[in-house]
Parts: sequence; structure tokens; C-alpha cells
Amino acid sequence: MKGKERMLTLLIPLLALTVWLAVSTSGLVPGYLLPHPLTVFDSGLHYIFGTPGQGPYAGRFRDDFSASLVRVLLGFSLAAALGIPLGILSGRLALVNRLASGPINGLRAVPGICWLPLAMIWFGIGIKTTVFLVAVAAFFPIYQNALTGARLVAPIYYQAGAMLGVSRFRGIFAILLPMAMPNIITGLRLGMGIAWAYLVLGELTGVPNGLGAVIMDARMGGQIDIILVGILLIAAIGRICDRLLVALMRLCFKSARRQA
Amino acid sequence: MMQTAAPEHRREGSGDPLLEIVGLNHFFAHKGSAEPVLRDLSLSLRRGEMACLIGRSGCGKSTLLKIIAGFMRPSRGACLLEGKPITKPGPDRCVVFQEDALFPWLTVRENVAFGLNGRALAKKERAHEVDRFLDLVGLQGYGDYLPRALSGGMKQRVALARVLILSPLLLLMDEPFGALDAQTRDEMQDLLLNLSQQRSQTILFVTHDVQEAVTIADRVLLLDRDCGGIREELEIALDRPRDRSTPQFQLYCRQLHHWLRQ
Repeated sequence: MKGKERMLTLLIPLLALTVWLAVSTSGLVPGYLLPHPLTVFDSGLHYIFGTPGQGPYAGRFRDDFSASLVRVLLGFSLAAALGIPLGILSGRLALVNRLASGPINGLRAVPGICWLPLAMIWFGIGIKTTVFLVAVAAFFPIYQNALTGARLVAPIYYQAGAMLGVSRFRGIFAILLPMAMPNIITGLRLGMGIAWAYLVLGELTGVPNGLGAVIMDARMGGQIDIILVGILLIAAIGRICDRLLVALMRLCFKSARRQA
Repeated sequence: MMQTAAPEHRREGSGDPLLEIVGLNHFFAHKGSAEPVLRDLSLSLRRGEMACLIGRSGCGKSTLLKIIAGFMRPSRGACLLEGKPITKPGPDRCVVFQEDALFPWLTVRENVAFGLNGRALAKKERAHEVDRFLDLVGLQGYGDYLPRALSGGMKQRVALARVLILSPLLLLMDEPFGALDAQTRDEMQDLLLNLSQQRSQTILFVTHDVQEAVTIADRVLLLDRDCGGIREELEIALDRPRDRSTPQFQLYCRQLHHWLRQ
């Protein structure tokens, strides 16, 4: 049964790969629009394992990856550090909600890309702009889900806590956060996904390194194979980050481990 | 003799009432006007007494229980436990709710131990206490289960254990067995009666089930449906364990039914 399920998740990617192979091999689509899978695979190997200096992209992966990862983690941590407490407070306190929800929902309606020009003027080209964009974009789902989670906790659990001797302050950690944990995790996962998307946006602006920068760089040089390598790598890394995030939360919190 | 979490109290002579409520009034704000829920309600409970509160739905039974538990402040009136006014919830007045209020991310054992967290108790003693109470409610072997793996009746056993372990002065029960099937309900009533008699536990039990009231109560209080306070009182002078098929039992039930219909 387990093997069957795994096959199912792989089915569509494998189909896509087959179609790609067929289209490229038959010459239906020219190589300058869509390179052959083997070419892309080869470029990928070079990009990841090649010796630096052997080609324009050879062996750059390690530097690009670590640069991008730092940006994503910084932006994501900022978003989580602001989004979770603000969301929880808004979910529990009508006053905070009234103060915060208007402006926050207004800002949320602004497409993330609109922040790019402003961020470039404020922070210049480089890590700060990217971190800012990632943080802004990841903040909203984290905030909104923490808010929903906090709001959905039924009063009966606070009452149960209070009669069992939990003070209001300790109740935040003993009852509120564990109860809201499934929603908090959902928000963090959505935030992490968006963080990678906005990383690329932030790195399109001319930073020298990073996975997004490589994609932009390759476009200038007309190297579609490298663009595809970049896309596939970001997809894979995004997926791994999501898995690691869930695993980390489960490791750290009982409430994450024991609630679906 | 080992010192337990809190001394277990014994049935004392009917001196001062444990709970005394005088002239209680409560209103809900409704479309700008104050809708009365409880009016001029007075009631007192002796130590060790098991009292059932019955009444039609919407007559304020649950509101009264919430006020005694300290979840709500009454609009007016005095609510005294051992002579001291009730101001906030606390482990001296524990509630068993009708709905499942166990913490879903904690195991049965952790749920039962939850109220002991603030108490100075060595790890070993705590574990021993938890085991003892799991035994008492018949859940030995289920300590490591999560609540979602338990049936409704077993959940209520956990709910009972987690409050009994704190030795509350007053146990408040808000239709705790109302959502259970008939056979499980009978079992739970028997369990409750056994435990409370061993411990001389004072209980205020809210129900709308007349049979349940006559099975459990030393005294049944009928709450007026037009929020006029306690309308009738009935001492159930039957020996325990009570046989539900005896004519006397049925007579009490008929009397209560009659009052409820009025």
C-alpha cells in the first residue's frame, strides 16, 4: 500500500518527464526554447559538482545555495517572529485585532512585487532588499493562520485550564499555543513556500549570487538549461525545507507531534 | 502515611454550609436591555452532600454552574465557598463538562497530571498519584493513549480523574453523562457514586434526566423555568445502592416529572 502511494505521487512528474523527453527527442520543440532533459541534467551536474572556473556556472551551486538559504531563513524568521505573536494577540484581544487587522489586511492587498522598487530605494541592491521582500511576503500567511488558530480555541479549554490552576499568563503557553499549533504550522509552511518565491524576486535585481541570481544571469546569456536547473533546484529545496520545518516543529513541540 | 497532593476531606457534621448562595441575580445584555437569567436565587450545600440541579433547558442551570465555578461573575448577589466569596476559577471547585474538554495534545496520563503541575510534588509521587487515579476510574493501561483514541465514556473517566486528583472541595458536573449511551451512562453513574462515597465528595450535578437525578442525589433542586430561583426541593430518602425498579424510586421520578411539566 505504501509503495503504491509513493508511485502515485511520482506519477505526474514521471509523465511530465516522459512528455518532455518525447518532445525534445522528436525535435518537435527546438532546443533553444526547451533543451533536452539530458542536457539539463548534465548542466545541473556541472552546476552542482563541477570545479569552479571550468565554466561560467560550474560549481557555483554551493555559494548560491548558501547565499539564498541565509536570505530565506533570515526573512522567514523575521516574518515568524512578528507574525506569530501579532496573530495570536489579534486572535485573542479584540482591541489588538481592531488596531491591527485594518492596516494589515490593507497591506496584504498590495502585491508583493510592488515592494520591490521601494525596497531597492530603502535598502539598495543586496541581501537587505531580499530579506525584506521575503519577510513581507511570508508574514501574511503566518499572521493570518496564527490569528485563526488563536481565535478557534474554544473557551471551554481556558475554563478547564483556569479551574486546574493555570494562570492567564501561563495559559498562553500551556493552552493557547498548543491548541493553536496546527494552524500555526500551516501558516509557517505557507510562509516558507512564499519565502522561496520572493527570494527569486529579490535576487532578480542584480545581486551577484543566489539561486534567483543564477536564473536571471542565465537568461541574459540565453542559457535555458541553467534556468531550468535553477527552477528544479528551487522546487526540490523548497520541498525539503517544508519537510524539515514540519520535522523540526514535531521535534520541538508535543502539540505539533500529536495533532495532525 | 504519605502526604498526598491535598488532604482528602471527610464528611463532617452538617455545621457550616460548604457553599452558600444568597440573593443571586444574573442578567444577560440582549438588544440593549438586560434579560434576566437567574433571579433571587438562594441555595446552600452541606459538606459531603450530593445535590442535583434539574430544570428545563434554558432555565439557567449551566449559568449557575459557571458562576459557582468562577467562569462568570454574577450581576448581583453573594456566592460563598466556606464563607469566602468566589471571585475566580480555582482547583477547589472543579468542573466536569458535558463536552470533551481534555487537552488533545496530552496523553491520558498528562491530562490527569495537568492540575498537579503547579504543586510541589516529587516526580515519583506525582506518577504514583496519577496511576492511583487512573486505577480508580478504571483506566489502568490507558495512560499513554491520546484522548482522540478514547470513547466518549472513557474521555469522561479521564475528565473525572483529572479533577478528583486535586481533591476539590466542590465537584461541579454539567450534564457530564448527557452525551453518552444509556448503558455507559449507568456505568458512569455507578462509578461516580462509588468514588464520591469513598471520598465524601460534595457534588453539584446538573442534569435534565430525572432518573439520573434520583439515582445520584441526596437532594434534588428544581430550578424555575422563568428564572424564579429554586422552585422545589426533594430529599431522596432511599438507601444506596439504589434500585431503579422499586416503586419508591419510580415515585420520586414521577414527582420530579410532574414538577418539570408544570
